Amino acid sequence: MRGHWAVVVATAAARRTLSDRAGLAVGTLFYLLVTGVISTVWRTAAGESDTGLVAGYSAAALGWYLAASEVTAVAINPRLIEAIGEDIAGGAVESEMLRPAPVVGVRLAAALGTALPRIACCAVGGSALALATAGSPPDAAGLALAAPALVLGVACNVATQHAAAAAAFWLRDAKSAWFLYQKFVFMLGGLLLPIEVLPGWLERVATLLPFAAMAYVPGRLASGHVEPGLLLVQVGWLAVMTALAALAFARGERRLQAVGA
Amino acid sequence: MTKAFPTGRGRARRMVEAVRDVSFTVAPGERVAYIGPNGAGKSTSIKVLTGILHATAGDVRVLGLVPWRQRRQLARRIGTLFGQRSQLWSELTPRQSYRMLASIHGLDPSRQDARLGELGELLDAAHLFDQPVRSMSLGQRMRCELAACMLHEPDVLFLDEPTIGLDLLAKQRFRQLLVRLNVESGTTTFLTSHDVADVEAVAERVVVMNHGRIIYDDAVAAMRRTLLATKLVEVRLAAPAGPLALEGVTVVEHDDTHARLVVDTGRRSVRDVLDTVLDGWPVADISVTDPPLEQVITEVYNAPDTPDTPDTPDTPDTPGDAAGSPAAAGPGPAAPAAAGPGHAAPVPEGTAT
Repeated sequence: MRGHWAVVVATAAARRTLSDRAGLAVGTLFYLLVTGVISTVWRTAAGESDTGLVAGYSAAALGWYLAASEVTAVAINPRLIEAIGEDIAGGAVESEMLRPAPVVGVRLAAALGTALPRIACCAVGGSALALATAGSPPDAAGLALAAPALVLGVACNVATQHAAAAAAFWLRDAKSAWFLYQKFVFMLGGLLLPIEVLPGWLERVATLLPFAAMAYVPGRLASGHVEPGLLLVQVGWLAVMTALAALAFARGERRLQAVGA
Repeated sequence: MTKAFPTGRGRARRMVEAVRDVSFTVAPGERVAYIGPNGAGKSTSIKVLTGILHATAGDVRVLGLVPWRQRRQLARRIGTLFGQRSQLWSELTPRQSYRMLASIHGLDPSRQDARLGELGELLDAAHLFDQPVRSMSLGQRMRCELAACMLHEPDVLFLDEPTIGLDLLAKQRFRQLLVRLNVESGTTTFLTSHDVADVEAVAERVVVMNHGRIIYDDAVAAMRRTLLATKLVEVRLAAPAGPLALEGVTVVEHDDTHARLVVDTGRRSVRDVLDTVLDGWPVADISVTDPPLEQVITEVYNAPDTPDTPDTPDTPDTPGDAAGSPAAAGPGPAAPAAAGPGHAAPVPEGTAT
């Protein structure tokens, strides 16, 4: 039976990641190191507060929160926007236009496929780390919901990066977009800290932006908050950002047809 | 077709024509070399023909489709091989990449397998299909790349510098494969290359671009004869011979055993030269050859530009005319024939739209 090209592309990309075992191992180790350090900082902060909580999160919850949220950043190429920008300016996207499938669709499928083995490795390693340093997961159901949330979070991240990187069709350089994007994910996406830690107004802003769907949602679920509705938020943002990326690439390709790379 | 790009900013902004009034038709199954010096407009033309760029003016049809408007439809029917870009993922085996490409092209698995069997045999590459691409030599990889772009049985194959970086033997083999593919599959081949040997070995027809225009379009074999009114006469001497002084003949080499003459056939006939040499010299062997194609092409590139040919807007714009042809590009209503740089630039019958 013939599989949809997106599935076949994602499978090939996953196979490519798995073929680079050393890269996969180094990436997982890097994730464990970063997560271990940040998690220790937050657990210490929780332990030293009067209530034993930081913005409503216990030390254990914070350990599981960070183990999940960090996966969504480490599982993909951290400089994906820059790489896409280089592909646009360097002519690689032109070659991809010679295929009978949407350029952005193939790219999204490949990026997600590339991330899947990394998500799996980091999730297993992160669970072991959290178990060892923070104890049992606060809620098994929340942890179970965190698994699809990780995949959706990475998918949102990949789609949003493609939408942002499409700026390179006009600017010839996506470095500035990458710099801005990175800061947004760090601060408003809940990557380094749950967004509840932010001042009230900023927290409200963060919940209105797609970045929270990337790192905050998986972290929130893994830290024992059984809120299945958050998965729907992710699906919504994924749809919006995929549509935006598709629109941006379609317009970018039309521009490329007019003025070249 | 004409393709212009904007350049500069603000008041200094202007349009620069990379390709100007280019007009030609390629017949099904033809092997055409599209050559020219750097910046001549070759890549721009190929990008327009494949739909990556749209023409600023004129009418372009490839397999009856307007490339930039029906890009994805066209992509199902053309294959592209750009020597400096890979379709194969280096970490995977070609077979794994083929599966992905075949699925993008909508080939079902049984057809994929059959096609890979055919291509493996045709390109003598079946044994490579299960090796990681990163462990292959460039020659092996290019054979696998060729299989990748032929997987969906394209009607037209666009090749941009396909032999770049290959060693001499690999180049020879690759050229033979291109010809074999064309002969056995009937795939129209449209090749650009800076390597004259590619043109000689692969193409039947050569289209020469310079400064965005076609300056020559004819059969490769005719190119030397038409463009250079010279012949090379190689003489092997049985014994030392005296000097030769003939109008229209330049002696470029002469020693005790060998002489090489260049004959300007406009001033003296080859027959005349042969008669004189055979009568006056102790000849052991003699041969007459055309000058190397490289020399011919250099002459064409270096020839001065002709003034712009005035447009003759008396030809109706008939986009359907070329629908059955693999590729046709024209300036729309105005279709000047390609003009040569001081040479007669033969345009084969039916070429200009």
